[in-house]
Amino acid sequence: MSQKILEVKDLVVEFNTDRGKITAVNGVTFDVHKGRSIGIVGESGSGKSVSALAIMRLIPNPPGRIAGGTIKFNGENLPDIQMDEMRRVRGNKIAMIFQEPMTSLNPVFTVGNQIEEVLELHQTELSPKERKEKTIDMLRLVGIPSPEQRVKEYPHQLSGGMRQRVMIAIALSCEPDILIADEPTTALDVTIQAQILELMNKLQRELGMGIIMITHDLGVVAETCDEVAVMYCGQIVERADVDTLFKYPKHPYTKGLMESIPAFDSTSGKKKEKLTTIEGMVPSLFDLPAGCNFYNRCVSASDRCRESEPKLSPVEGSHEVSCFNPLSL
Amino acid sequence: MNLWVYTFRRLLYVIPVLLGVCLIIYLLFNVVAGDPTHILLGKHATAKQMAELRHELGLDRHWFMQYLDLVKSAFTFDFGRSWSTKQLISSMISEGAIPSLTLTVPGFFISTICAVSLSLLVSFYRGGLFDKFTILICISLMSIPSLAYILFGQYFFAYKLGMFEISGYDFGFPHFIPYIQLPVLIWITLTIGPDLRFYRTVVLDEVYQDYVRTARAKGLGEKLILFKHVLKNAMIPIVTYVVIQIPFLILGALLIESFFGIPGLGGITLNAINSSDFPVIRAMTILSAVAYIIFGVITDILYTVVDPRVRLN
Amino acid sequence: MENVQSNSFATTEIKELKSKSLWRHAFETLLRDKTAVVSLFTVGVYALIALLTAFGFLAADWAAEVGPSYQSPSTEFLFGTDIFGRSVVAKTLKGTQVAMSIGLSTAVLSAVIGVFLGSIAGYYGGKIDEIIVWFYNTFSSIPSIMLLVAITFILGKGLVAVYLALGLTSWVGLCRLIRGEVIRHKDREYVHAASAIGGGDFRKLFKHILPNVLHIVIINFSLQFQVAIKAEVILSYLGLGVQGQPSWGTMIDDAKLELARGVWWQLGAATFAMFGVVLTLNLLGDALRDALDPKLKGK
Repeated sequence: MSQKILEVKDLVVEFNTDRGKITAVNGVTFDVHKGRSIGIVGESGSGKSVSALAIMRLIPNPPGRIAGGTIKFNGENLPDIQMDEMRRVRGNKIAMIFQEPMTSLNPVFTVGNQIEEVLELHQTELSPKERKEKTIDMLRLVGIPSPEQRVKEYPHQLSGGMRQRVMIAIALSCEPDILIADEPTTALDVTIQAQILELMNKLQRELGMGIIMITHDLGVVAETCDEVAVMYCGQIVERADVDTLFKYPKHPYTKGLMESIPAFDSTSGKKKEKLTTIEGMVPSLFDLPAGCNFYNRCVSASDRCRESEPKLSPVEGSHEVSCFNPLSL
Repeated sequence: MNLWVYTFRRLLYVIPVLLGVCLIIYLLFNVVAGDPTHILLGKHATAKQMAELRHELGLDRHWFMQYLDLVKSAFTFDFGRSWSTKQLISSMISEGAIPSLTLTVPGFFISTICAVSLSLLVSFYRGGLFDKFTILICISLMSIPSLAYILFGQYFFAYKLGMFEISGYDFGFPHFIPYIQLPVLIWITLTIGPDLRFYRTVVLDEVYQDYVRTARAKGLGEKLILFKHVLKNAMIPIVTYVVIQIPFLILGALLIESFFGIPGLGGITLNAINSSDFPVIRAMTILSAVAYIIFGVITDILYTVVDPRVRLN
Repeated sequence: MENVQSNSFATTEIKELKSKSLWRHAFETLLRDKTAVVSLFTVGVYALIALLTAFGFLAADWAAEVGPSYQSPSTEFLFGTDIFGRSVVAKTLKGTQVAMSIGLSTAVLSAVIGVFLGSIAGYYGGKIDEIIVWFYNTFSSIPSIMLLVAITFILGKGLVAVYLALGLTSWVGLCRLIRGEVIRHKDREYVHAASAIGGGDFRKLFKHILPNVLHIVIINFSLQFQVAIKAEVILSYLGLGVQGQPSWGTMIDDAKLELARGVWWQLGAATFAMFGVVLTLNLLGDALRDALDPKLKGK
């Protein structure tokens, strides 16, 4: 096992809303290792993006706040450090890219300007000339053709895929230890998606950073991740390395997720004919059930599931699941 | 399409609007307002006197020729003479513009600077008590009629406390300064509320954009984000808002000028309205319409220059 | 064919359900907002005073001489008396009726003209749109003070002239907004669905598009209401205001001769009364915007 660089333990994030307090992330634990990717999968509202934003301390406060748990990075607990110390981590040691490449770049600054800005902030030893050169190098690295011209362009002059490449260039320009990618390909065309994922894989091999891949798309996980955590209602319900999870899903929710993807069948691995959906609705975070959160939608629920809440616990090796009646295959 | 073609087209669109403005003015003054000879000669004029005057004023010509004269005056600024003072209106305008500007430019300048900086400050503490309090003050300031400010200010600060000149004006720098102090203060009080509210909305619109989150994720501090990233985006609507107000500066402040005896265009307009001095009212209307239209064009062109996103098509 | 029909009905039904719950949600948001509730209540009080004076239950004897001229405020005369020895309180109350009627008529007139021209321009497009856009561009190039003067000059002095002058000069902003929104909405699916079931232009416009732009009309209504109340002061100063009955504008205007003699109470009472309702309407407008404008949600 390679070096552990980030340890998230029992993370709790709460939001105050008009209708009361909700716990968007409730006791999430995972590690990030050097040179490896962890995928965090879940539907919208499962708390996956909030977990990522919490690591960066980008939860809008108010209404949100980190209410508990630790995020250990380089021996320090990120929620405890001073804000200006945190700013030296952001974009430098831990970088983040977002879902909306159309709006995530500032429309009134050139692409080059936006990359140089992060270099100016964190790599103060570079001279302005070196910064300019490095900016062009970064654009070349992320596969943008004729980078010498592109640095002078504004975001609106680039396509969605090119903009996401620029976002990646910004994120990687200070060679971070960790890259958090929050749905990086969701807003892109399918062919572009594949290119961006391929690029991220390649850059990870070259630069050796750990990646946290936030996505709702198990296909993306299969293509890019080494390890997967499945989230439901603010909690991790199953965690395993990527091969194990796809071959032997233990949690009924994980299995349901897999079966709702076209062209993928968890049992035979062949293209399947019928798509299934998970019956029922995600419970409201305002009104979570007493027992297992997945109880009302679960095919293998028992009385015990209604009354008490299962805890994430190991089944085989590093494979962990939070279910009283895990699937056996 | 390049900028010159766009500018040309935009200017071309000015023509129908200007013709429309002249048409409305013509209709208002020459058709619905009735015969001006009654106003000039009073009720006991003879038919002969009236006919002579009508001829003198050119009112007996074909309506289209009269309309054409109006359109021509929009370009030549040759508006004829005032009925009450018999002065050339064009020279009244050029004389009146200076006192108006000595009042409105400082007021506008101070108000804009204060409102923009306050809006950034308020956005920094958005949602907090300071934000809410500032907005409440803005709305309160806006809820008092301008006439009440003028009456109270003149009575209390100038008359009772003697802090300012009650009224009057002196041409030339720095002689006018004592006379414009209170008017400028009242101008600021009147404009800072709506300005600050507008700029706050503009800044808040930007503060919640995704690029702000990206800037935070890059490790930028809140002040740098606000003053560099947010402000540069907000500058687009701010500049537009500033430019569109410039014509109103030239035209002065109607009530303030008339109360404080400042011989500016605002006061001239108000006097003309009070004495039914049609040529002057007409001239001021055309002048403000032309200024409004031209600055509208300038704003549009400026917009395409400032905002890299605007593609001309 | 039958299938298509039932589907379209389903679409419109869902749409209506959705818009109803949106309105309900907006209403609930509004009721939770303390400022909004207080503002609504205050506007209600002003409206009640206006109605009571209009029907003669309140301040019916405003014209009566109750004491000596220019009596300063005391326990007997709460806000003193005016030059004719009339009670300033009674005049202020009577002025509420004028102010509220001016606000209401202006807001209604501006809404009617703005919605009518704006929706026609947006919906039909083409030449009709060009003409309407040209018209309001032209119209808004002329300073509204000049138009106000011209209109009152034509109509003669009086309350009706004030109503019309303020109403006829305040529709352009709304018209622009409505035109933009209608253009945005007319190509939406639910409008096409309405075409599929054979809805005429009129039906489509009024049943399907307008409910979706109603929030703009409501917000604009509270804005124009208070702008008109303030504008009445300017008209009074120009001598074009309300004649024969007290209004806040004429009371404030009277102060230009009274203040030099130390008579501040007419100005004070009228300004205070106006401040109350204009501030309230401003706050209400903001609260309405927060509750109704989905673009600003979450801010």
